[in-house]
Amino acid sequence: QVYTSPSRNPYLNLAIEQYLLRNCAKSSTILFLYVNRPCVVIGRNQNPWMEVNLDLLRCGIPSPTASSKHVPVDLVRRRSGGGTVFHDLGNVNWSVICPSASFDFDRNRHAEMVSRALRRLGVADARVNDRHDIVVGPSEKETYKVSGSAYKLITGRALHHGTLLLSSPHLPVVSSLLRSPAEGYMQSKGVRSVRSPIRNVDLGNEEFIDAVIGEFGKMYEGGTGVVDVDAETAGEATWIAEEMETIDSADWRFGQTPQFTFSTHPTEEDPRPRPPLP
Amino acid sequence: MASIARCLRAARPSALSAFKTPVSRVCPARAFSVTSSNALRKYTKEHEWIDLSADLKTGVIGISEYAAKELGDVVFVELPEEGKKVAAGDAIGAVESVKSAADINAPIACKITGINLLLEEKPGTINQVPEDDSHGGGWIAKVSVTEEGVKDLEKLMDPQAYAEFTATEGEH
Repeated sequence: QVYTSPSRNPYLNLAIEQYLLRNCAKSSTILFLYVNRPCVVIGRNQNPWMEVNLDLLRCGIPSPTASSKHVPVDLVRRRSGGGTVFHDLGNVNWSVICPSASFDFDRNRHAEMVSRALRRLGVADARVNDRHDIVVGPSEKETYKVSGSAYKLITGRALHHGTLLLSSPHLPVVSSLLRSPAEGYMQSKGVRSVRSPIRNVDLGNEEFIDAVIGEFGKMYEGGTGVVDVDAETAGEATWIAEEMETIDSADWRFGQTPQFTFSTHPTEEDPRPRPPLP
Repeated sequence: MASIARCLRAARPSALSAFKTPVSRVCPARAFSVTSSNALRKYTKEHEWIDLSADLKTGVIGISEYAAKELGDVVFVELPEEGKKVAAGDAIGAVESVKSAADINAPIACKITGINLLLEEKPGTINQVPEDDSHGGGWIAKVSVTEEGVKDLEKLMDPQAYAEFTATEGEH
């Protein structure tokens, strides 16, 4: 079964994704595709102060069409693990939900599926690396990440979702957005991101979505077609509305950060020299 | 026991020879006590285990070695809140390994009485000693068991059944 979302609201899309994970038939395999307006998405157990330049985020990023105007950027914490990524209208998110027994588990299975879709569209060097990322690039030494993956496991079900950079106009600003000036002063028990150079694949959203649906259809026959989720009724469904409220709260976004210390001078537990204060 | 011996050794090295024999005698005794609690150990299909006291009033919960291996290197453990009352199957925290965040569910109805703070410092303990319910082990929570919880036990697998279950799962 394939679902797509017409909404660009990251909170709604993540809530729909969780709803699909928790409520669909236990033996079903589902593909969900969605695109978000510009946002920075951190993993379940990450520290936003260490991973993101929150000042830059608050200012917004320059609009690709009118550089004096600024586009607002949301900060979202997702429920799956992993590191920090940037989403925008040139990035398509793909999500596969399947029984967790079949998750015994080839973490690359669906990343390979998306890779095949890319190769079918002419991206001949698309491949999956050992971090389950999809990369392109002429050689082992020169690779660019085009997709990162994250997973969430619940009773009997597994969610594997990833990004895909197709035609993002904001790539130049991503590296400064994902570098925090506070990083050198902090030590965290949470999960750290792993940096990689990134690049667009230069394809259209529609053709990519169609190719992924095609590959999914080959792997899992007997589907009932593509359902475009009705964003309005979805947003009103109680479960989804509550989930949206939870993940859009400061308590979830910031309050779920694991223990960390912040110190402007070296301490016993953290004797590293500190960067000079601004 | 072993950890107390370590502290003493650090504090009074001159007494080392005096303690040496007791330490080696303590270890086998410890191994026996672990074996006896295994007789009251049960597993869930989702790879959690629970060790129960002889009176079935308290227990210790963790994830199995099979689960720890499947997850890979654990980088973060979300521990449940102390005092939380749960039914069998309710989430009591989660384990994050390289990119997967996996829910841990209560094997039986119980109330959380203690959590393993060692896992906040060293989440990798789960990978090293996932089924160890002693101080320094990879256990996740200590619980008190309700009557309903005791009934839930019947639905769980004993170590033998669990070993067979995981052997067949590997065939998928």
